[in-house]
Amino acid sequence: MIRVEGLTKYYGPHRAIHDVTFQVGQGDIVGFLGPNGAGKTTMMRILTGFMPASAGSASIGGYDVYTDSVEARRHIGYVPEHPAIYPEMRVSQYLAYCGKLYGMSWPQIKDARDRVVQTCGLEERYQYIIGRLSLGYRQRVCLAQALIHNPAVLILDEPTIGLDPNQIRQVRDLIKGLAGEHTVMLSTHILPEAQAACERVIIINHGEVVAEDTPEALTAQLRQAQTVLVKVAHASGTVPRMLRDIPGVTAVTPVRGDDDAYYVDTEIGSDKRSEIAKFVIDHDWGLLELRAIEMSLEDVFRQLTTEEKGVA
Amino acid sequence: MRNILAIAGREIQTYFVSPLAYVAIFFFVFVCGFIFTLAIYTGQTEADMAPLFHSMVFVSLMVAPVLTMGLIAQETNSGSIELLMTKPVRDAEVAVGKFLGAMAIYIFILLVSLEFPIMYEVWGNPDWGMILSGYIGLLACGIAFMAIGTFASALTDNQIAAWLIGTALLLFFWLVGWLGYSSTTWLTDVAKRLSIYENFGDFARGIVDGKNVLYFLSLAVVFLFMSVRALENRRTV
Repeated sequence: MIRVEGLTKYYGPHRAIHDVTFQVGQGDIVGFLGPNGAGKTTMMRILTGFMPASAGSASIGGYDVYTDSVEARRHIGYVPEHPAIYPEMRVSQYLAYCGKLYGMSWPQIKDARDRVVQTCGLEERYQYIIGRLSLGYRQRVCLAQALIHNPAVLILDEPTIGLDPNQIRQVRDLIKGLAGEHTVMLSTHILPEAQAACERVIIINHGEVVAEDTPEALTAQLRQAQTVLVKVAHASGTVPRMLRDIPGVTAVTPVRGDDDAYYVDTEIGSDKRSEIAKFVIDHDWGLLELRAIEMSLEDVFRQLTTEEKGVA
Repeated sequence: MRNILAIAGREIQTYFVSPLAYVAIFFFVFVCGFIFTLAIYTGQTEADMAPLFHSMVFVSLMVAPVLTMGLIAQETNSGSIELLMTKPVRDAEVAVGKFLGAMAIYIFILLVSLEFPIMYEVWGNPDWGMILSGYIGLLACGIAFMAIGTFASALTDNQIAAWLIGTALLLFFWLVGWLGYSSTTWLTDVAKRLSIYENFGDFARGIVDGKNVLYFLSLAVVFLFMSVRALENRRTV
């Protein structure tokens, strides 16, 4: 549904994105993850036809976003990072206006408006003047205008920014509910968001794709080491050094704030838990806890983006 | 066409929820009304609209950039342009739609200004043919003024800057004819032909000349075209 090939964008001499290639299938929810300034918004603006790329190509539903821009835009619902909507208009007026710009007839607009107002929970604010709405509601109006023409592709740039935790959950649930029928691409710098809402994550840093997979596979595949947490009853200064001597153990670091617990990193692909348990019991340190630590997407993200920084 | 009308309709709505339209109408009617009253009190004895038409066109020139300054600059400044330009609308539709929105307010102002000839009609015996030609001239001027203003608004995200650019451009086209009074070379002839003042003169005298109409229309087309280019250019930066 979305196809991006070798996309590059320069702002003057500054390179915002470089040679980005990916594809998004129909009905997928894909997260575009990266720190602030990574090129997410640039990417979204190119996809929505707001600005052209410097090189490369992108298409939405088979329509090139540059050469066939108007047709491509017909199939996109877009929520920009800053939901700047005409503050003097009423919600109902604004949605009707957007419907008109999407070429919908009046009966279609009325039906669609009722539908999106319900989907986005705007029933009570339907006749409000947009300028008087809270940020959360304005975000919903923005989402509603993106859905009014029932687009094949939804592009959401940081859709939960500035919302309170309840609203964030609502918006995420809403996005999840849209999957299947719509192809969703959302950008975020918040990891739990990508983890919670997306089936696939594309991690971007300094304008380049550094990783792309499901959140689970990404965490599993990209972890550099498997880590085991060990907590003992009778710790002593020699414990870390002795644990380090177990074959296959690469590093031992004390857990901050807990003198009796250690993170034991082991070689990739090896499960050293039984050896570690046996070792602790043999030395009579009093094994209290032993478990494998799951690396979160956050760790992967930090690892990838800091590594990248080292290269640059 | 639908998109153009939708955009124009939204602009008209915006004018009337902001004080801008009311202030512009008030300004126009107040200044022209003042001139109208002064003329009568200082000895104008005939129901002749020609002097007033010249004042009206200059007041229009002052009001036009105020009406147009926000058209695109405000959207760029607030960021709402992003949602507009990612809708399936052509840049030309955006420019023309906004131009037509401003045009509608201008026409509304002209309708309000009909009070002056009506007063002449009540207390005098005006030449309605001349009045009609004067209003055709004002309309033609308005088309050019609004297009120039739309262009100015597309150049910047600052409304005050857009207003100044618009005013400067309009004053240029107003004053350039003065060159023609000093001497007569081909350059001064061109300057006279480029002048809003010179081209409006015939309308005020009751003459609707095709070449004057063509002048204002071509000015409008050129500046609308440049507005579209300025909008396209906004996308690339």
